[in-house]
Formats: sequence, C-alpha cells, structure tokens
Amino acid sequence: MNLPLAIRLGSTFQSIDVESGSSGRLVVQVPGESVVPVLTFLKEEGYGYLQLVSCVDWIDRGALQLVYLLSCYTEDEIGGEEGSQEVFVKTNVPRGRASVPSAIGVYEIAEPYEREIHELYGVHFEGHPRLTPLFLERDYEIPPFRKDFDTKQYVADVFDSVPPVKEEG
Amino acid sequence: MDRNELMKWIKAPAKMAHKYSLNAVYFCTGCGIIEVPPTITSRWDAERFGVVPSATPRHANLFLITGYVSVKTLRAIIRTYEQMPEPKYTVGFGSCTINGGMYWDSYNTIKRLDKYIPIDGYIAGCMPRPEAIFVAVTHLWTLIDKDMADGYKRYRKNYAAYRANQEMVLGKLEWPPLFPKETGTGTADGAAMAMDVASHTTGRTG
Repeated sequence: MNLPLAIRLGSTFQSIDVESGSSGRLVVQVPGESVVPVLTFLKEEGYGYLQLVSCVDWIDRGALQLVYLLSCYTEDEIGGEEGSQEVFVKTNVPRGRASVPSAIGVYEIAEPYEREIHELYGVHFEGHPRLTPLFLERDYEIPPFRKDFDTKQYVADVFDSVPPVKEEG
Repeated sequence: MDRNELMKWIKAPAKMAHKYSLNAVYFCTGCGIIEVPPTITSRWDAERFGVVPSATPRHANLFLITGYVSVKTLRAIIRTYEQMPEPKYTVGFGSCTINGGMYWDSYNTIKRLDKYIPIDGYIAGCMPRPEAIFVAVTHLWTLIDKDMADGYKRYRKNYAAYRANQEMVLGKLEWPPLFPKETGTGTADGAAMAMDVASHTTGRTG
C-alpha cells in the first residue's frame, strides 16, 4: 500500500531506509545531513503539515534520535494514490556532538520544537535563529532530559539544600 | 449574622471583616486550578463562605497556590505575593506544595513551598475536592480569630531569610527587596512596625 511513495523515496535518496510502521505509517531512517532534503521532498509530495519534532535518548547506542512526524490533511494532496497519512522521519545523531541542520526553512513550525529540544536534550540546530531558553530558568550542566542526568542527585543538591526558614516566636 | 458572634464583631470588627471577605487570587500554577472553577461557580458556590476570585493580586487577600511550583512559577508567585496588600493569607493546595508530591524528584519543581514564602495552611491531597477548600476556609477563620494566620507578619520579620532562599534557587532577583531596611532578623516588633510605614511608601515595587 505504501509502495509508491516508498519506492520514489528510495530511488531519490540513496542513503535512506524506508519501512512500513504500524497502522500504515511510513518510517524513514535518514542520516543527519539529508534530513532537510528528505523533508523538502516529502513536503512537495503533499505532506504539508509537521505535527511535531520529538527526541529520544538512546544512551546504550550513544545516539539521540530525532523524530519528525509529518502528515497530510487530505488524500488528494498525496497525488490521489493510496498512500500513508503519516510519515515518520527519523535520524540518529551522536550524543557527543549532537548537531543537525534546522528544518525551519522547510517547516516554519519547527522553530519552537527545535528550541525545546535544544534546551532539554542539548541538540544544536544549525541555522536556527534563536536557540535561547524556552522553559527553564536555571542552568543545567547536562540537559535535563538526557538519560545521564541524575534528577535525584540534582534535587538533593539544589532544592533539598535550601534551608527551611527558622522562625522564632 | 450569627448572634453568637456578636461579641467578636464588637471586639475586633476588622478581623471579622477580613474573615468573611476573602478575595482569592485567581492564579493558576498546577493542575489544582481545575478544582477552582467549580468551587467559585454555582455548583459549590464559594461565595457562601465569602470567597470570591479577584481580578488582580492588588485587591486580593487569599492566595491559593494550586499545585506544583516550577522554578519559573516561583518567580511569578513571589511577585504576586509581594503585591498583595496586608493582611494576606496563603494556602498551599494539594500535596505538591507540601513536599513536592509526585514531582518530588523533578529537575525543575521546587519541593517545599514554605521555604520561599510563608504558608498559613495546607490542604493535603491529590487532588483535594472543592469541599476541602471550604474546610480550609473555615480553618482559616479559626486561625484569624486566634491571630495565628500570621504568615505576612512572619514574612516581614524573616524577610532576609526568605529572600536568601529565593535567591538560592532563582539567582539574583531583578526587583529590589520588599522590606529593604529590615535586613537583620529578630527586630523588635515596635521598631519593625515603625519601619513598615517607611518601606510601604518607598520599597514597593511594581
């Protein structure tokens, strides 16, 4: 069912890996540098809506996985053929130097997602106009959503170390 | 009016007036704010107890902190609390304000709220039902009667310690101290009250 788009993707890009996910979704594994070309290709194919950008820390593999979830509103937009309504674009970046090109040029809505991932996972997005803190007030040595961030130790060091106010009388 | 309370009205009319006109800051921190709309509207009708939501903290005297407090929210809570006119009462709503609740090991949730601002009472539970707010309000009446709802006085007295704790978490605060002259703790009450007048006119910040 997903064959036409999958074949077209495979013939356009050499270094990607296309497979069918659950419930008709298409999962596309791409290397970091071809994220933007693949997203551009898929947008021209009718996947005009970026639902979200997510990040997973696979600490055993030493990689951070970025997940771009694309969808289209109508089946007409994907050329009338029976295609998947949703496409996952996944890319792995090494944890040590996590850096990928920003997808803002293709999908403008990626901006807050990339800011959030930069803040919580420490992924650098090349070409992002303002990678400033979005939610957090404090500075964290390790970004707090990475698996090697020890929350219990952090809480003990920071919040538990604040002394209670001694009130006389 | 309850005839049994007549003597209280004659002895301390201001205190009685405070008791029955609690204007709550409508400040949404955590999930506990879900319980507040049914509490103040027709189903539970908090106005029976004299509790009405207030549009701005500058007209309010009851601060319900409804749920977990993140570092960023703490900044807003301190600013809100310092803008409220005295006498003011704070009630921590839900277990998150007591010891962090289910966010006890979060990277961004301050755990005990009473380290940063004074709390007059807590409503335990996750979530407390609207009835619990009324139990808290009636308890607060008792505390006001007995002069035990003195959080704002404790804040004034131990302001240096509270401010130091706030700066431990938030870093340097960008607003000047609310009570700049009372840096030392253990000031005599009379001297503290005299200084209050001065700090009210000069120390208040927007």
